[in-house]
Amino acid sequence: MSPSVLICDDSNMARKQVLRSLPEQWRTSVQTASNGAEALTILRDNSVEVLFLDLTMPGIDGIGVLQGIQKLNLNCSVFVISADIQPEMQSKVKALGAKEFIRKPVKSDILITHLQQHGLL
Amino acid sequence: MSEFHLTEDQQDCLQELINIAMGQASDQLARYLDTFVYLKVPSIESVAAVELIQTLSQQQNTMAVVSQGFFGYEGIRGEALLMYQEEDSGRIADLLGYEPDELSQDEQLIDISSILTTTFLNVFAGQIDNQMSYNAPKLLPSIQNSISEHLQQMTFNWDLALKVNINYQVTDYSFNCNMILLIPETAIINIKNVLDRILAEF
Repeated sequence: MSPSVLICDDSNMARKQVLRSLPEQWRTSVQTASNGAEALTILRDNSVEVLFLDLTMPGIDGIGVLQGIQKLNLNCSVFVISADIQPEMQSKVKALGAKEFIRKPVKSDILITHLQQHGLL
Repeated sequence: MSEFHLTEDQQDCLQELINIAMGQASDQLARYLDTFVYLKVPSIESVAAVELIQTLSQQQNTMAVVSQGFFGYEGIRGEALLMYQEEDSGRIADLLGYEPDELSQDEQLIDISSILTTTFLNVFAGQIDNQMSYNAPKLLPSIQNSISEHLQQMTFNWDLALKVNINYQVTDYSFNCNMILLIPETAIINIKNVLDRILAEF
């Protein structure tokens, strides 16, 4: 069974890139959000199991979403997919509970390897 | 101007390519300064050649402009201008932490500009299957008319300027800089074709 997935990125192209990189059987149960506030609404009302999260977004950014997830005590595996590749940012998102940091542009084999490493595949 | 009318999808695609290039340029800057750089979403707008000269000539508080030419394959070429504001000059010097006699402020600005420009354009070029080479960066003299003169003396006709507004916040400091890419029509057409090719893959 495929988990319920949320992709949050302000870029339509980036969302499609993530979608295309997912294992095929996952692609049917995907929701999308184009900003942090939208993502938090979906996270709060649905049981999202896996979140793919961009960092640099207008309004509530990826860091804000990670903090929201902690505050709401949600049980959801977060994979950050971002262009902000500074080492300090990578450790910051992991400290906030993200499973992995994946650099943009996302590659399918790398994404799938990470999902396997975390027992999601 | 109409040459560079982008569809919503093309604009979104270009924005994402620029975000990725910005991310890596900021990472290089952060390593160079040994600090952390807060990134914001850069805003992108295109400006017609005629308008740009007017706008730039009216900007009183522009402290410095560093200009660097770039060349790729298939007619992709242009000139990158990095523009700094007067009020940020001291901050940039503090940030760089050079000893006063080590390098002049001018040389510091050229250093930092070249890191940003070349990293940005290398990553951008990589994403559109291109590769860039560069001229040496030069600092324009800070006389009022020097920018418009410089722009008029370009060796190629550029029809459009892609203005990317970048805001860098570096822990205790923040400085703004505008990166302006002047691109001739051939390059614009090429970039649009590449955007369509990328979009067609989805």
